[in-house]
Amino acid sequence: MLNFKINSNEIDKIGKFTKEEKYFRLKNLNHFNDIGFPNKRNEDWKFSDLKEIVSKNFNKLELKLEKSKKPKIDFIKDFEHNYIVIINGELTYSDFKYEEKDKIKLQPFINEDYSDSKKHNPLLNLNHALSDKGYFLDVKENYKFKKVLVIYHLFTEDLDENILNSKNKIKIGKNSELHFLEFTINESKKNFFNNVYEDIILEKSAALKSIYLQNDKSFGYFHKYSRNSLSSDSNYTSFIFPTGHKFNKLDLEFNLEGERSECNLQSASFLDDNVHQEVKTRVNHLFPNCKSYQKVKNVLNAESKGVYQGKIFVKDVAQKTDAYQLSKAILLSELSEFDSKPELEIYADDVKCSHGSTSGNLDKDSIYYLMTRGLTKKESTKLLVNGFLNEVVDSIKSNSIRNFVKNKLENQFINEY
Amino acid sequence: MLEIKDLNASINDKLILKGLNISIKPGELHAIMGPNGSGKSTLANVLSGKEGYNISGELNYLGKSLNEISIDERAQKGIFLAFQYPTEIPGVNTSNFLRTSLNKVRKAQGKKEIDALSFLKLIKEKTTELGMDEKMLTRQLNVGFSGGEKKKNEILQMKILDPNLIILDETDSGLDIDALRIVADGVNSSRDNKKSFLVITHYQRLLNFIKPDFVHVLSNGKIVKSGNKELAIQLEKTGYKGIN
Ligand SMILES: Nc1ncnc2c1ncn2[C@@H]1O[C@H](COP(=O)(O)OP(=O)(O)OP(=O)(O)O)[C@@H](O)[C@H]1O
Ligand SMILES: [Mg+2]
Repeated sequence: MLNFKINSNEIDKIGKFTKEEKYFRLKNLNHFNDIGFPNKRNEDWKFSDLKEIVSKNFNKLELKLEKSKKPKIDFIKDFEHNYIVIINGELTYSDFKYEEKDKIKLQPFINEDYSDSKKHNPLLNLNHALSDKGYFLDVKENYKFKKVLVIYHLFTEDLDENILNSKNKIKIGKNSELHFLEFTINESKKNFFNNVYEDIILEKSAALKSIYLQNDKSFGYFHKYSRNSLSSDSNYTSFIFPTGHKFNKLDLEFNLEGERSECNLQSASFLDDNVHQEVKTRVNHLFPNCKSYQKVKNVLNAESKGVYQGKIFVKDVAQKTDAYQLSKAILLSELSEFDSKPELEIYADDVKCSHGSTSGNLDKDSIYYLMTRGLTKKESTKLLVNGFLNEVVDSIKSNSIRNFVKNKLENQFINEY
Repeated sequence: MLEIKDLNASINDKLILKGLNISIKPGELHAIMGPNGSGKSTLANVLSGKEGYNISGELNYLGKSLNEISIDERAQKGIFLAFQYPTEIPGVNTSNFLRTSLNKVRKAQGKKEIDALSFLKLIKEKTTELGMDEKMLTRQLNVGFSGGEKKKNEILQMKILDPNLIILDETDSGLDIDALRIVADGVNSSRDNKKSFLVITHYQRLLNFIKPDFVHVLSNGKIVKSGNKELAIQLEKTGYKGIN
């Protein structure tokens, strides 16, 4: 059993800090050391016992990591784009060749918020204590990006039972618009742990579209906590394709903090082998006339496990809320498992909230029909699975990006089936 | 072409086919009529290779037993079933599906895959022949198709896959008079001295358009009477009770 306790001098190794920051880090470190990795007794982790998962799969967790040489990136050629390159969580270089430079600020992340030290998620405490990398992208007011931004996340070959803690922040100014693709490229061959804290802020009437996609498989254990704040009239559309890592938990919080703000989240996953993946959402409707939409689709093969925990919270003042949530899962194997826990907590009376959850096997009659037309059982299954997941991909508006995503998903994952 | 001897089929411990015999030679068209629940669709399903049935008796196709042959292999060998109730399949594009299916069948028969252009030409020709809107093929397979459109889509697949043994399970039910004529013409233009048809129907009317060589009455899991087209006309008058 791995006993992962961290000495407080690890904080000093990161750098010199103000008294206030040092105290913040120390306090969070103590919280983490008290509890360690969360286990299933923690309600938020009841379907993903991380303590057990980590102790089963890691001998150690190394905090130190030599800076790797600048690896070559295989840039996407399918569409023109700006880019940022992040290597093992660290901001390395960027190119905004299609944009007005003075409208964009990009810098390594510096945390100035020392308010969060609650004991709700030990991984957050760990991140607050030890985070030493990340970026801050600031899009100024009244600026619409001309081309998409690709954020390349590269994980290098020399990773070996390392744990990476990073913090990223993206702020979209008033009336501004950004579309980005967060694209993970993996070169690592061994286990590692990637613990990310993300802060996304949409100011008034800002628009953001994002896609989260993995290029290849990894032995990575990923956890991301993402806090998304939406001001009035802002709009956030997010497509997530989390599959690719051994373990991935996306803990996404959307705060609708201004009237008429809207968030739209769609997810599609094909889980294979003994992959464990969780999407957890919490949408907080805090103001009137806001809209939220969530659709989460999972296909589970072999011994994989998928989890969806989705909570919609509607504050008493948030009248005319329109909230929708749907989870659909298909189990291809008897050894796979899917858990879903939808939750509604509503304090306003004039709201439209609906949620639904289905999970089951592929429709036998559909397979039979396709087979009578000469397709094998496997081909029929593949066609149906593709059809099921492509419904999400098909909502991506840009042709070139949609086709890119489709190809990636079909090649890397579904074709392995 | 097809030789069925003493076929028994049961599902969920319910015996449905009880010693059925039929023999179909190349070029022949056989019609099967029979009351609801007599086992017509069950026979069609069993011929297609559908799983879940307990089967005994002989089932020979082109001189070989079908016993160990899977659903997809039967299709590749030229057995085609037009369904009584075609399945709606969300997320699967009709045209892509048709092409995948055609290429599977072609490949199994040692032909090379059809290229995109020839496929489009083929589709255009066949949809026009059947009075179908080509745009329907950009939709999800059978999803939201009207009853008649679904049936036409089955005949379209038959025309494209060009099978040897064609089983039509109540393809005429739910078709309007014009559509019935078009579908019948579609069947007639496919007839030649190599293909065989097994046409399941409730209505003598269809047999005015498609001339059967033989008519069989299936009742309670057995063929109780066989004859020519006159039998269908007689049935129309007397109903099934007048048989035996
Ligand atoms: N899976 C099943 N389990 C139990 N009974 C079944 C099953 N499938 C069919 N049957 C029964 O077998 C009998 C024959 O059904 P079948 O569908 O072959 O009839 P049919 O002749 O095609 O009728 P119709 O003219 O109404 O289409 C019916 O009594 C039906 O209820
Ligand atoms: Mg029937």
